[in-house]
Amino acid sequence: MAKRMVCLVLTIAALVLAACGPQRTPTGPVELTMMMWGDPAELTVWRQIVADFEAANPGIRVNVEVSDWDSYWTKLKTMLAGGTPPDVFAIDAPLYPDYQSRGVLLNLQPYIDAEPQVLEGLYPITLEAYKTPEGYFGLPRDFQTIVVFYNKDMFDAAGIPYPQPGWTYDDLREIAKRLTKDTNGDGIIDQYGFYADLWDMELIWSEAIWAYGGDILSPDHSRTLINSPEARQVWKLFYDMIFVDHSWPDTTTAAEYGGDPFLAGAAAMTTIGHWVVPGYAEAGFRWDVAPMPRGPAGQATSVNSAGFVIAKATKHPDEAWKFLKFVLSADGQKRLAELGFACPVLRSVAESPAFLDQPVKVNHRVFLDSLQFARMKPVFKGYEEWSAVVGDGLAPVWAGEAELDPTLDAVVAEADKVLAANR
Amino acid sequence: MEYGLRPLGREKIWLWLLLAPTLVGLIFGAFGSVLATTGLSLMEWDLLTPPTWAGLRNYVELFTNERFLRSLSNTVKFSAMYVPGVVVLSLFVAVLLNRPIRGVSLFRTCYFLPCVTSAVATALVWNLIYGKDTGVLNYLLTRLGLRPVCWLCTENALYSVVVVNIWGAIGEGMIVFLAGLTAIPREYYEAAEIDGANRVQQFFRITLPLITPSIFFQTLISTINAFQAYDYIYMLTRRAGGESTVPVVVFSIYRNAWHFSNYGGASAQAIELTVIVAALMALYFWLEKRFVVYE
Repeated sequence: MAKRMVCLVLTIAALVLAACGPQRTPTGPVELTMMMWGDPAELTVWRQIVADFEAANPGIRVNVEVSDWDSYWTKLKTMLAGGTPPDVFAIDAPLYPDYQSRGVLLNLQPYIDAEPQVLEGLYPITLEAYKTPEGYFGLPRDFQTIVVFYNKDMFDAAGIPYPQPGWTYDDLREIAKRLTKDTNGDGIIDQYGFYADLWDMELIWSEAIWAYGGDILSPDHSRTLINSPEARQVWKLFYDMIFVDHSWPDTTTAAEYGGDPFLAGAAAMTTIGHWVVPGYAEAGFRWDVAPMPRGPAGQATSVNSAGFVIAKATKHPDEAWKFLKFVLSADGQKRLAELGFACPVLRSVAESPAFLDQPVKVNHRVFLDSLQFARMKPVFKGYEEWSAVVGDGLAPVWAGEAELDPTLDAVVAEADKVLAANR
Repeated sequence: MEYGLRPLGREKIWLWLLLAPTLVGLIFGAFGSVLATTGLSLMEWDLLTPPTWAGLRNYVELFTNERFLRSLSNTVKFSAMYVPGVVVLSLFVAVLLNRPIRGVSLFRTCYFLPCVTSAVATALVWNLIYGKDTGVLNYLLTRLGLRPVCWLCTENALYSVVVVNIWGAIGEGMIVFLAGLTAIPREYYEAAEIDGANRVQQFFRITLPLITPSIFFQTLISTINAFQAYDYIYMLTRRAGGESTVPVVVFSIYRNAWHFSNYGGASAQAIELTVIVAALMALYFWLEKRFVVYE
């Protein structure tokens, strides 16, 4: 009996060890895992890009894993912590320092030094976010500038000319007021002039604060500047549009239109990036885009990018680099342009029909021209917690439940604590 | 009991061997994670770099971090309304449905339905009910000539989510109480009727004392659920950027860990939640000895 027991235990142990032991060196193709966030339409295009890449690089196979935005980051962190990260994965530029500073990304500088032409022809501002004193630990794959989307049907019905380049925030407020209507006369507004989400800085408030001559953070990322006199002018403007003019629905009202009154056909204008183009194409009304308005200190928009990084723990850095290069090549960028969610980072493709003449016919050039006055969306360690403190902190104001000025001061104090903790 | 089957000699080996998978799972899965959480609560950890010793700093944070204190106060307020609400209402429903009414099983199914429906789906329906301008509830209010209410704005959201959570939990409470009620011998009621006791007297003199074990059990379960409540609350009160108008402790734990890379702080919050629930359980068991009647 005891002998049999020992036998049994040894057999089990042998099986377990065999399963955990080092795999035999692969004689077949090198397998890369690429992970990203996205929806099914994006997955289809990425499968195509991967197929093109595999055709051009026999001997490398790429498995694409896609998750939705929220679960993507949870999954990614778990895999990184477990020591089994995907070889290549997508990154949102503002979150890049959180990973780069923790040493889980591969330094791409040696590869770039060997092949500097890879960066040639990319829009320089899109590279800025990934630059560190030790070099690049990631590269952008596509970018987003924020522009004004407007509902042509609503403008036409009101006989108001479309927004023209050179218009100002005062014009925006005035036009929004004129486009706000109670169409069925029941005392409740059912067409608003403007809506933008105020939680994150990217959609409207960083642009406006820059246009008014203010800034978001001090250059050393130690202080939050969104309560400067210039920034206060911006907050006051928004507050008045929402609660005095009623031309901009508060957040609770916007939530009833699925959080996007413009898409719901209940707001005449909004500010957002190219990622909404495929969705808005099915909105059932005519729309186009115009550049951001000017403020007293000039015109500004925000540029942000999604990029790719390579895990430091990858077993196949050379192959992963090859894939990154392919994404940035004209072939890869053209496929991305077809997807229609973002702007290609490669200038030659962005300015080609692949991007400008995509199936959704609007003035796509506005997104590229906006780069002339664009500023990089701030990228710093602790970004997520900082933006939660600011976004959550100001949310009661935009829901009409808190005073603007005291809330702003309290939020800035707490935001500075987050910056201090992330030094 | 003493004369039950006892494993003899060699059988003991098999006993332990066969129990091993469950025990290992329990030790590593449950106790292991409790231990790990306790350990992590004394560290600073961002998941990607090695943890560093933080001592009691994360626990000090629990008393000074305003965002956490706000979520703790929300959880406490929520539980204070939710637990009595669930116990009283589900007992009420169970008493109503413990009589021979036509279609009783249909009613019971209706009340139990929320328990087996996806919380996300029901929360979306409740969003339609609570909407400010387009919601069903405000439509009814304005029809009655009343002013519409912003049900999910900060000042009302807590009460609105308590209602939804109680509504979602009545079904389970009802099952517990129905089981308790059917166990009460009919003779007691017959005897009381002969003595001339009316229905209300019967309820307070017979039903209520005899159902105290079920009340005890339901209060215990509801309390645990209250401190862990998350899904309905989040679905009804979420705003852009992953924020919630009624952040509760579980939400705070999740957000600190996965969004702010603050696993140490999140662990300390989890430990505090556990300690609070454990203390309440101790209190309940002490009360049980004094007030619960077992036949």
